[in-house]
Amino acid sequence: MAESPLNVLLKGNTGRNTRGLLRIIILGTIAAAAVSSRLFSVIRFESIIHEFDPWFNFRATKYLVQHGFYSFWDWFDDRTWHPLGRVTGGTLYPGLMVTSGVIYHILRFLTIPVDIRNICVLLAPGFSGLTALAMYFLTCEMSTSPSAGLLAAAFMGIVPGYISRSVAGSYDNEAIAIFLLVFTFFLWIKAVKNGSIMWGALTALFYGYMVSAWGGYVFITNLIPLHVFVLLCMGRYSSRIYISYTTWYALGTLASMQIPFVGFLPIRNSDHMSALGIFGLLQLVAFADFVRGFIPGKHFQRLLTTMIIVVFGAAFVGLVVLTVSGVIAPWSGRFYSLWDTGYAKIHIPIIASVSEHQPTAWPAFFFDLNFLIWLFPAGVYMCFRDLKDEHVFVIIYSVLASYFAGVMVRLMLTLTPIVCVAAALALSTILDTYVLASPGPNPKAKVVEDTSSEPLRSARKPDVGVTSYLSKLVVTSSAIIYLLLFVAHCTWVTSNAYSSPSVVLASRMPDGSQHIIDDYREAYYWLRQNTPHNAKVMSWWDYGYQIGGMADRPTLVDNNTWNNTHIATVGKAMSSREEVSYPILRQHDVDYVLVVFGGLLGYSGDDINKFLWMVRIAEGIWPDEVKERDFFTARGEYRVDDQATPTMRNSLMYKMSYYNYHTMFQGGQAVDRVRGAKLPAEGPQLSTLEEAFTSENWIIRIYKVKDLDNLNRDHSNAVAFDRGHKRKRATKKKGPRVLRTE
Amino acid sequence: MKLLNFLVPFLAILPHGLCANSDTDKYEKYRSLARSAPIDLDDSSYEDLTSKPRNYHVAVLLTATEARFGCILCREFQPEWDLIARSWNKGPTLNDLKVLYATLEFTNGKETFQKLMLQTAPVLLVFPPTVGPFSKVDDAPLRFDFSGPISADQLYTWISRHLPNGPKPPLVRPINYMRIISGVTILMGVVTLFTVLSPYVYPVVQNRNLWAAMSLIAILLFISGHMFNHIRKVPYVAGDGRGGISYFAGGFSNQFGMETQIIAAIYAILSFATIALAMKVPRIADNKTQQVAVIIWGSVLLGMYSFLLSVFKVKNGGYPFFLPPF
Repeated sequence: MAESPLNVLLKGNTGRNTRGLLRIIILGTIAAAAVSSRLFSVIRFESIIHEFDPWFNFRATKYLVQHGFYSFWDWFDDRTWHPLGRVTGGTLYPGLMVTSGVIYHILRFLTIPVDIRNICVLLAPGFSGLTALAMYFLTCEMSTSPSAGLLAAAFMGIVPGYISRSVAGSYDNEAIAIFLLVFTFFLWIKAVKNGSIMWGALTALFYGYMVSAWGGYVFITNLIPLHVFVLLCMGRYSSRIYISYTTWYALGTLASMQIPFVGFLPIRNSDHMSALGIFGLLQLVAFADFVRGFIPGKHFQRLLTTMIIVVFGAAFVGLVVLTVSGVIAPWSGRFYSLWDTGYAKIHIPIIASVSEHQPTAWPAFFFDLNFLIWLFPAGVYMCFRDLKDEHVFVIIYSVLASYFAGVMVRLMLTLTPIVCVAAALALSTILDTYVLASPGPNPKAKVVEDTSSEPLRSARKPDVGVTSYLSKLVVTSSAIIYLLLFVAHCTWVTSNAYSSPSVVLASRMPDGSQHIIDDYREAYYWLRQNTPHNAKVMSWWDYGYQIGGMADRPTLVDNNTWNNTHIATVGKAMSSREEVSYPILRQHDVDYVLVVFGGLLGYSGDDINKFLWMVRIAEGIWPDEVKERDFFTARGEYRVDDQATPTMRNSLMYKMSYYNYHTMFQGGQAVDRVRGAKLPAEGPQLSTLEEAFTSENWIIRIYKVKDLDNLNRDHSNAVAFDRGHKRKRATKKKGPRVLRTE
Repeated sequence: MKLLNFLVPFLAILPHGLCANSDTDKYEKYRSLARSAPIDLDDSSYEDLTSKPRNYHVAVLLTATEARFGCILCREFQPEWDLIARSWNKGPTLNDLKVLYATLEFTNGKETFQKLMLQTAPVLLVFPPTVGPFSKVDDAPLRFDFSGPISADQLYTWISRHLPNGPKPPLVRPINYMRIISGVTILMGVVTLFTVLSPYVYPVVQNRNLWAAMSLIAILLFISGHMFNHIRKVPYVAGDGRGGISYFAGGFSNQFGMETQIIAAIYAILSFATIALAMKVPRIADNKTQQVAVIIWGSVLLGMYSFLLSVFKVKNGGYPFFLPPF
């Protein structure tokens, strides 16, 4: 064989080095692609924090950087949940903030002056590069093929299911959590394969990091025990499993308990009980395995049966007793709602109200995963071919995660990594079979066929490889077309669906140029500059974090939603008549009320559309005073026009949304563009609030709560007097009831 | 019950001697009629029971459980209602809080339904007492409208909220012994069957193909939106308004039952074609057959994927990508 320069590069030791170098270059390029595809929003808009939760994380990070780690740990925030306050340091997952704080200090140490905001904005894209790398390692553990890992890394880098939560500016826990999830799983697979304490301890270390970063750590806490359990059921107990699991469980539980928010949950909460149960079971299995070496078979069988019955009975009784007596907390609501899908709707409307917690329709799967979605089952099937310990893991993960993703849109995020792994396994098998340039049988064919119990149906005959060039050409070219289509799809989805900051809205002018709608920031900066530093702002909880972050004003409720009653109080104030609401506003020291109104612009995410949830949540606490039924017309419609029910028309939310709105239109033909309704010619009257600010496109409206009247009249009388009506005599008192502010 | 019969006249006299004997008798009469289940009323007894003066609360469920009215809600709720009445009647006797639970069936009380101008059933009316310590000035009945399926617990909290404060018997759901026994029996049966058949069952349980099939079916169900159907209770198909059937629901976050099955089938075909190309084709020894198989599976893949993209384009109007055939 002639030694061409190419052959020198590709064969032997040099060849290995060349391939290693190529692999590094490819991985570097993938990471670069992953980062740059997430920068649409920065380029199109600006370096800005997106949406809602990120604003809190950003605020907390600023606090951490300013005041140092210890005061962050003990942070009591009196500027949210007025008048209750929130023990913020003890009720958040600090991983994200600490990560960006550390990066900030390292950069400062290297004398690179970077604003903390830019670190926060770019953290998610940066970590997505690392996720692609972690994905490469994980997939390489699953397959002998060199291309599987690279394919998986490339998929993970640009798949929209992951981009949706990690574009620049989406500074949320998931930004780093997905990297930690994938990397923890990689370490776990490594630990199971090698049975080494080192890998087990590393798994525990990254598990601890994951716990500090995201509430979704419970997924790992349950998936790893399930993996071990299935392996035990398959009769695959080995000292490798024992070593890796016990190391992980002991160290990981200790690590997770260091987070104040998690605290003693790992030993008291039912969510974590499976991990503990498997830990116990593993000890018993190990003991049985040990005893088997000393006792003859017959006795051993009897001993084993007795032991199983006794232990399971005792464990079951103990669990029931502990649960009933309250030592072990029952399943947490969010977790429980995953299994009993009707549960949240009846018992926890606040969970059901979040759009991320809705079930997933099929287009969302295709939208987020494109052709990976049909490679995914094929990849899972291929895992059954070898069915080593790590393939069992992939199968369990796939089934569980696809269930979760079907129940909750948000959990698409946990499904995405395994889809990338499985799809890469499938595609790499195809490519390895068809891309090989030399004719004749595939050298891979000499790989020893699996001789274990029962091979898969499709793997019974020996592999002879693909012979004809035409076949290779057909399959390879179509695979390339699908891959190109995938890249185009991902770019299109990212650019169109996932790159909007939602704080700033973009629209097109008639001539096609871009027009930025910046009402949110306009209103928040108005609050910041025109109100006292301690003015309390009441709004629906969605906007709490943004008001805290951008306007820097105390709020009543925010996206943390830890106190349902407090949220219901706000809901009641919004959905009641002014006479009922005003005392509530006074009691909570509210100075300003903020509502979001999309009627003028046709912005559908406004408060009138969210209003029914406010009503429902308030009804949960005050079923006698707020009734959802009253907001629907006799025919069961939810209307805002002349046909609206009196309760609807007198509610504070309705009045604040449409106050003065008719003055925008000629001849009393006010139109609500979201709900497509013609409004009554006469707009609503407000007596206890006065309009303070309305943004350019009317998206945000801010009202000031009036002080008590100087002459001790009630507000409706005072307003009537100002308008020039004579005051009604006290004897004919039939009007609204007298206000009581106590 | 005897003890109760004996006690109640005293109890009625002691705290409020004002109330007339006849009222006590009326309460007593219906109370003994009730035993544990709710009282079955007709027009005349409804009139009698709800007529003034009354020194007791009455909760009347106006319902239509007969099959010909087709009121599923009524039939579903009836056992729950019996449960509430039974819990109250069998619960600890309360000294002066008197509540009667009654049911008025539509067939027995057409006049009452007409008088109340009821268009829907079921409806729950709670009449407060007009005399006695708990009497209200406004003696109009409270009305509870059923907006959907509701459990006894929810309704019971509503009723107890409208009764005067004080201790009330808790809602007791009878333990369903039948179900426990049958459950245990079935479990033991399964265990026995498994033990007996283990030589035959083991190969099946350990069969890789079976597990592969099960996992794949589960995954295909979930990724084609089955859970959405289950939670949202979507229709199977819907008419398109021109007499035909539309298989695909309009809108990105909306779907029909049949639609998800079509999608699951598409995914299954695509996956199977992939598996065939990756695992089956390289194992075909004959060159010609292999060539044909590659072309067949390759075109199946292309056609199906193209169809999938066209379906997705229907769901998401602005989607710009497509593949040739469709």
